[in-house]
Amino acid sequence: MAPSFELVTPPSVEAAVAELAAGAPGEVAVLAGGTDLLFDLDSPRNPPRRVLSLRRLPWRTLDWNGPVLTVGSTLPLRALEEDAEVAARHPGLVQALRAVGGVPLRHRATLGGNLGRAAPASDLLPVLLALDAEVDLIGPTGARSLPVDRFLVGSRRTALAPGELIRSVRFPEPRPSAYLWQRVRPEHDISQVAVAAARSPTDGRWRIAVGGIPPRAVRLAEAEALLTSAVPPDSTVRSVAVRAAERLPIAADRRGSEEYRRHLLATLFERAVRQVAGSSAGGP
Amino acid sequence: MPPPLALTVNGERRLLDDVPDSERLLDTIRWRLGLKGTKEGCRSGECGACTVLVDDRSTLSCLTLAHEVDGSTVTTIEGVARDPVGRTVQEMFARAGALQCGYCTPGFVLALVGLLKERGRAAPTEELLADLSGNLCRCTGYLSIARAVAMLPREGP
Repeated sequence: MAPSFELVTPPSVEAAVAELAAGAPGEVAVLAGGTDLLFDLDSPRNPPRRVLSLRRLPWRTLDWNGPVLTVGSTLPLRALEEDAEVAARHPGLVQALRAVGGVPLRHRATLGGNLGRAAPASDLLPVLLALDAEVDLIGPTGARSLPVDRFLVGSRRTALAPGELIRSVRFPEPRPSAYLWQRVRPEHDISQVAVAAARSPTDGRWRIAVGGIPPRAVRLAEAEALLTSAVPPDSTVRSVAVRAAERLPIAADRRGSEEYRRHLLATLFERAVRQVAGSSAGGP
Repeated sequence: MPPPLALTVNGERRLLDDVPDSERLLDTIRWRLGLKGTKEGCRSGECGACTVLVDDRSTLSCLTLAHEVDGSTVTTIEGVARDPVGRTVQEMFARAGALQCGYCTPGFVLALVGLLKERGRAAPTEELLADLSGNLCRCTGYLSIARAVAMLPREGP
């Protein structure tokens, strides 16, 4: 039997922040879509006494302001995935969204939940890194924004301050992008290794991020710097990918040996970069 | 105690008292409303057996708190034939013999009805099948399920 808790559903952002800030650390859990939290609540080590639902807050939004896409933290992933403009301008994001569970799960799961829960295996965090997404926060002392790279601290650890909530996620510009993953069982397992690649049309630089390897999704800055053109030669991509896979600290777990994971990382890295390069070569 | 929970279930308005805050929609449907057609499989969002429609969107009732969908319309397998799309899907599953033990069938039917409501009947079979990937059949009766999807009439609303 799952432990019981009190469900609190504040009617406003102010009330939600006040409620969260009033709780002792660990006493209040934040509920967005709940697909990760409720799974955890069946057998928690430290059960929360209260669960704070965000469902009444006006954050189920999707807005374009020129090139900037702002996604409200509680918008269901399925709504983002089904948006034609998002699909056209952020192909890698849509590939990553479709890697998350099944459709019924994506009708409730959210970007805010993926960030706030910070699971090492999240399929969305690598692509958020590759797209230089920013996290907009609101808390007792006001609003602030953090790049995803600074927001993520470790496995299940974030830079959220006490009383702070994730309001939205901002994507600064459309980018050719790709997200590729490998799993033992594709339809119902987490990714063993996943790679997101993107190239900024404004600064011309590549972003490569890797996920599925604890403690957290990371950018491969050294490898990025070695990719110096929109369509790097195959031999360069291969050698950069292999070198990146050799350098990243990778541990074995029940989903794969260290050696196999390094092999996957090099292979997915190479394919993701080629996919993005291919779209640059063919398009504007 | 939390306020009463208001749901419209299979067209009937229900007002439920004393539903604990931590109760899953799955348990409300099965134990409080007695609608045992909704199945509990993994209880962790992997198998899709507990799929119901919440405001016409397919939803995992095992990973949804009942109070989170307060005020919503819920459709379970018992009410699926009230809807023309639901009736069509039901007929195709029967004609294709798209079940073995039947445990996953309610989830598959509701996930498919939800997809057709979202995307319309013209959605390509391959895409519908890919979007059913969240539903598992432990009997591995996927071929007949795929046949049922392929048999769906592609015209009409």
